[in-house]
Amino acid sequence: MDAFSAVLQGLPMTIVLTLSAFAIGIVGAVPLAVGLSSSNIVVRLACRLFVDLVRGVPIIVWLFLLKFGIQVGTFKFNPVGAAIVGLGVVSIAYLAEIYRGGLESVPRGQNEAADALGLSRGTTFLRVLVPQAFRIVSPSIATYLTGLLKDSSIASTIIVAEMVFQSQAFARQHPTMEGILPYVLVGILYIVLSLPVAYLSRSLDARMRKAVYA
Amino acid sequence: MTLSEIANGKLAPRTGIRLDNISKRYGDHLVIDDVSLNVEPGTVTALIGPSGAGKSTFLRCINLLERPDSGTIQVDHHTIEPGKVINAKDLAALRRTVGMVFQSFNLFPHMSALKNISFPQQKVLGRSKEEADERALQLLERVGLKDKAHQHPGRCSGGQQQRIAIARALALDPSIMLFDEPTSALDPEVGLEVLAVMRELADDGMTMIVVTHEMQFARDVSDTLVVMADCKIIEQGDPRAIMSDPQEDRTRRFLRAVLER
Repeated sequence: MDAFSAVLQGLPMTIVLTLSAFAIGIVGAVPLAVGLSSSNIVVRLACRLFVDLVRGVPIIVWLFLLKFGIQVGTFKFNPVGAAIVGLGVVSIAYLAEIYRGGLESVPRGQNEAADALGLSRGTTFLRVLVPQAFRIVSPSIATYLTGLLKDSSIASTIIVAEMVFQSQAFARQHPTMEGILPYVLVGILYIVLSLPVAYLSRSLDARMRKAVYA
Repeated sequence: MTLSEIANGKLAPRTGIRLDNISKRYGDHLVIDDVSLNVEPGTVTALIGPSGAGKSTFLRCINLLERPDSGTIQVDHHTIEPGKVINAKDLAALRRTVGMVFQSFNLFPHMSALKNISFPQQKVLGRSKEEADERALQLLERVGLKDKAHQHPGRCSGGQQQRIAIARALALDPSIMLFDEPTSALDPEVGLEVLAVMRELADDGMTMIVVTHEMQFARDVSDTLVVMADCKIIEQGDPRAIMSDPQEDRTRRFLRAVLER
């Protein structure tokens, strides 16, 4: 098998890891972001503690802890499960911080206008604050997604057969200069994969800019 | 049809508002010191005074954007004591009765002018989209901005945005309108279009409380002039009488400063 086919074998797993973790993060970060700006100090501190704890520990450590440190009855994480949950939880923490920043950058007058009109808190949040915050944070979210794509390679350390894992396997079987080739290819592949994200982010940003100011 | 007839379908019952012994402090800093004000139905009250006097804070206490530490607010058979727990029903009733216009407009930038006016009607009053849109268009026409219905606020001038904001508040059929320095962020010329809309509203008999530096408007349109300084009301009464013959030294100094500019 040539180096390129070897790397490509890991491509679906890289995509699955990245998109699953991202999906978990995008949804899970919403309640956490609300908690981070809660007026209840206990809720706020608990959320802050969670975010700082998750972000303070390297992803590789979380993955090892999940893969080898958790056993409930007969349940243990398989490598893919541990990687998705680990990357997902880390995404929740980072995205929550991004959301919070976005929500806080919506001018206070927006909240006051909604209050004065008598809109409910839920309506204000979903229809007034979130659409404006999303426009502000969408470039940061895209940046996070490209970062997550690359971080998914850490799953190779707990034996998840994604692109870097396949590169290593190929390199081990070819202890010559050829063994370097998959690393070159995988590097290029990461860049190629991040291009559509950057493109999507830019077009989304342009569309929303138009929606706000047109 | 007049502005408030369009807003209400028919004229809403005139409502006044009574504020008693309102006090507000931020930490150790007193901003409203035991202020009482009675606003008769269908009258215009202009609130003037030097900056830092507490005018805007007092206005924002009326619809509880700021929570007073003590005092009572009576509006439309509801008595609210902000120092105590306010139940959601009273708060909703208060906000439904009282509309507000801000210095910085605070339109929703991601919605068209039409949607800015239509969306709150659907959410707060439960109107259908068709009914709310129709009402919004009528109000936009009335404030001279029907052609801006599908523009976003960012494409409108400050004066246009403020007129849209007035239409947005009127669409919810308030009986009382609060204006917090509605022309202060506008060029003098542009401010005139906003003042014209406000004059019309006053002529319709809307109960209005206006924090303003527009002395001409205060003199010509308001029924009561209230002068605030140092967290208190220091003088109130007929606007022409106060402006030509202020009783308080502080009022005289302030009027001289604004009128001789």
